[in-house]
Amino acid sequence: MNRANAVALAVALAGVVAVPWVAPTYHVLLMLPFMAYGVVLLGLNLLFGYTGLVSFGHALFIGLGAYTAAFLTGACKIRSLEIILVVAAAAAALVAMPVASFCVRYVKIYFGMLTLAFGMVFYTFLLKFYKLTGGDEGMPVARPFLLGRDLGAMPKTEYLAGPYYFYSLAVLVVALVVMWRLVHSPFGLCLKTIRDNPAKAETLGISVRHYRWAAFVISAVYAGVGGALLATPTGNVDPTLAYWTHSGNIVFMTLLGGFASFFGPLVGAFVFIYLQDFVMSVVPYWRLVFGAILAALVIFAPGGLMGLFARRRTVEVI
Amino acid sequence: MTNVVNIVMGGVFHASILFLVAAGLQITFGVQRVFNLACGSFYALGAYFGVSAVQWYAGAGGPPAFFVVPLVLAGALIGLTGVVVERGLLSFVYDRDETFQLLLTFAVVLMMEDLIRMTWGTAPVSTSGLYLVYGQARVAGATVPVYNLIVIGASLAIALGIGWLLTRTVFGRIIRATADNREMAEALGVDMRRTYAKVFTLGTVLGTLGGALVIPATAAMSEMGVELIVEAFAVVVIGGLGSMRGAFVGALVVGILRALAIAIYPELEMLVIYLIVITVLIFRPRGLFGGAAA
Amino acid sequence: MGRQGHSRVILRAENLTKHYGEFRALRGVTLGVSTGEFVSIIGPNGAGKSTLINLLTGLARPTSGTVRFKDRDIGGIGPVKLAKLGMARSFQLVQIFPDLTVLETLQAAVAARLGRGRRIFASLTGDREIQDGALEVAELFGLGVRRHALARELPQGDKKLLDVASAFALRPEIILLDEPTSGVSTADKTRIMEILVRAAKTIGLRAIIQVEHDMDIVFGYSDRIIALHQGAVLADAAPSDIQADRRLVDMVVGRRH
Repeated sequence: MNRANAVALAVALAGVVAVPWVAPTYHVLLMLPFMAYGVVLLGLNLLFGYTGLVSFGHALFIGLGAYTAAFLTGACKIRSLEIILVVAAAAAALVAMPVASFCVRYVKIYFGMLTLAFGMVFYTFLLKFYKLTGGDEGMPVARPFLLGRDLGAMPKTEYLAGPYYFYSLAVLVVALVVMWRLVHSPFGLCLKTIRDNPAKAETLGISVRHYRWAAFVISAVYAGVGGALLATPTGNVDPTLAYWTHSGNIVFMTLLGGFASFFGPLVGAFVFIYLQDFVMSVVPYWRLVFGAILAALVIFAPGGLMGLFARRRTVEVI
Repeated sequence: MTNVVNIVMGGVFHASILFLVAAGLQITFGVQRVFNLACGSFYALGAYFGVSAVQWYAGAGGPPAFFVVPLVLAGALIGLTGVVVERGLLSFVYDRDETFQLLLTFAVVLMMEDLIRMTWGTAPVSTSGLYLVYGQARVAGATVPVYNLIVIGASLAIALGIGWLLTRTVFGRIIRATADNREMAEALGVDMRRTYAKVFTLGTVLGTLGGALVIPATAAMSEMGVELIVEAFAVVVIGGLGSMRGAFVGALVVGILRALAIAIYPELEMLVIYLIVITVLIFRPRGLFGGAAA
Repeated sequence: MGRQGHSRVILRAENLTKHYGEFRALRGVTLGVSTGEFVSIIGPNGAGKSTLINLLTGLARPTSGTVRFKDRDIGGIGPVKLAKLGMARSFQLVQIFPDLTVLETLQAAVAARLGRGRRIFASLTGDREIQDGALEVAELFGLGVRRHALARELPQGDKKLLDVASAFALRPEIILLDEPTSGVSTADKTRIMEILVRAAKTIGLRAIIQVEHDMDIVFGYSDRIIALHQGAVLADAAPSDIQADRRLVDMVVGRRH
């Protein structure tokens, strides 16, 4: 990372740390879904920007992570957020492994369709088996313990804008560091060859299917962790978390920020959440505005916001 | 026994509607290689517009027996707005990766969802019991609303009409040629811009028609669009992307299976359909009648 | 390349046939390539060269007959396994990784060779073997100066070189080049061939097979020429032997009598 980027990153990090002290509570709370989606999108972009696969069913893993949090804090009475995050990651990995095996044999539209189908299977399961999952009303999520501390006595907003905020930030930073190392490793380079020219990658001895599978599973783990983080602030999980339009929205967020850039997805999550909040305060029709933005993105700026700033690489369609 | 016939008839009715929407999807995919996620949104548009047309008609004192006329007309006409989507948005991305085309249709889904909300609100609207004006009939021992039979008949007629269009008309030949080999068709002088516009609009008209026709039997609700696309998608996967015959058979499979599933074990409903979709995609990706595999 | 020391047959095709439905693309092709050889495969379009290449590189299964690489049947084993066995190829239509730099392309090849793809947390830039290996190949092919250029922004000749270089980076035992000088200006052709031969010596390549149309290149560099005609081997001899036979020359170059 060059000097300018490192400085920008440090400034951004400092800004995020400072938010709870300088910004009104409302905006602090808005940062929470941003951080959760940030984790999700980091993973999704491994699949999208680095491996070239567009999944329309990734919300499955977000839902899986969220419902894991609900189950653990509810039925299992396990309140440690550390355990919740680990179990969510493991659950996501376990489900992703067989799903990935099926899906990575296909590309482009067939991959999109297959992932959409899997996502909707999970949604239907969540919706219909209401005795287990609470049906369309969903399940509540109890306030988790952070680092073993029961902070139940704190008022909700204080908890969320304080300890939970920094916990989420820590998780996001860890997720960032891990993903950075991943994409800058030989593994990451192989993923990029598969994105650019799978046939040639194979002639170099790179087994396209294996690498896609690995990318899929890793991105699912990220989505699971993000889903678990997402669940606590709302205090409730419901099946719409796994609906196909939710999958579409996170792809949108990634595109918005720029899939060709490492930090693009984070930018996308940030802009999406704040813009959605802003638009909804003015008029309830955020979908109309966002649909127009997505259309404009696809037609005029497929490289997203980061793509508009790109110097070295002009963005090409995958 | 009557129960089974009832269920199957319900399934066939649903299949008739599904066929219309799926046919629109197939023709767009077959010719333009675009999977139009917004086909469900046009279905919803047709439904809402159909309700408004019928309500206006009833308010203007039209005889209830002919309510299908404004319904069908409204359904077909509103589908022509598809050309706006095609010319105004889709035409800019034909040279791009299909992923981006898909995302663009998703953008249309988002926009149309809110446009419908803006125009008709969020509460469900319906034509209430108007369709019972045609009474009921007894088919193989079961009681079926005559309206449902009319719709099934209409859908069959349209299926035959599409078949005739594809095999007997110049336009149909152009469609088949372009679906087969676009570059060659272009080289032979086919005007791609106009063909694409016409094909896409035909697809959206079929979708809105399906929405309008289903309206008397149910209510128009805001989630209709996004929910139907998943069923339509199941139909085209099972039938085979791009195939009309596939849309027909696929619609029957999905419609009847769903009706059976609801009757036997309601939790299963769409689950059974999705599992079939996944199985088809894994073992025979081109579906029953589709072309080249993934 | 010149034969040196003991040479043995490293790639052997026996009675290869390939039918596509009714169409017979290859009719009983038998050939062998020994270590130390530079073999050119020539023939007019439609003679079956592409089919032969696909069979020799394990991309397709023969309808009958066998292909053996180092005494191992490689019919249809696919490019990944073949690369691991020690055979690499370049393509007629140049294949690159458009959004990767020259260096990254070569790093990927070296990483694949060394089996480093499994290392998900190791640093790419910190891996000395990958870095040095990639740089070495870049320099060998004269791409060192442009190593940070994006592959898609290279001029056509350099793209070709990169395609071939990435195959070389695998340190294969045998390399199959599909029209390495096609689409390249005449001046560049010789440059590419010279680089090829020099690189082959440096990395200890055992054999080179190329498909070529340019007869000057073919006669100038090959130890042996195999001429295909309508799916069968028309001639399999040293350049001097072929040149001695006028009728053979005419048929090989494609003139009809």
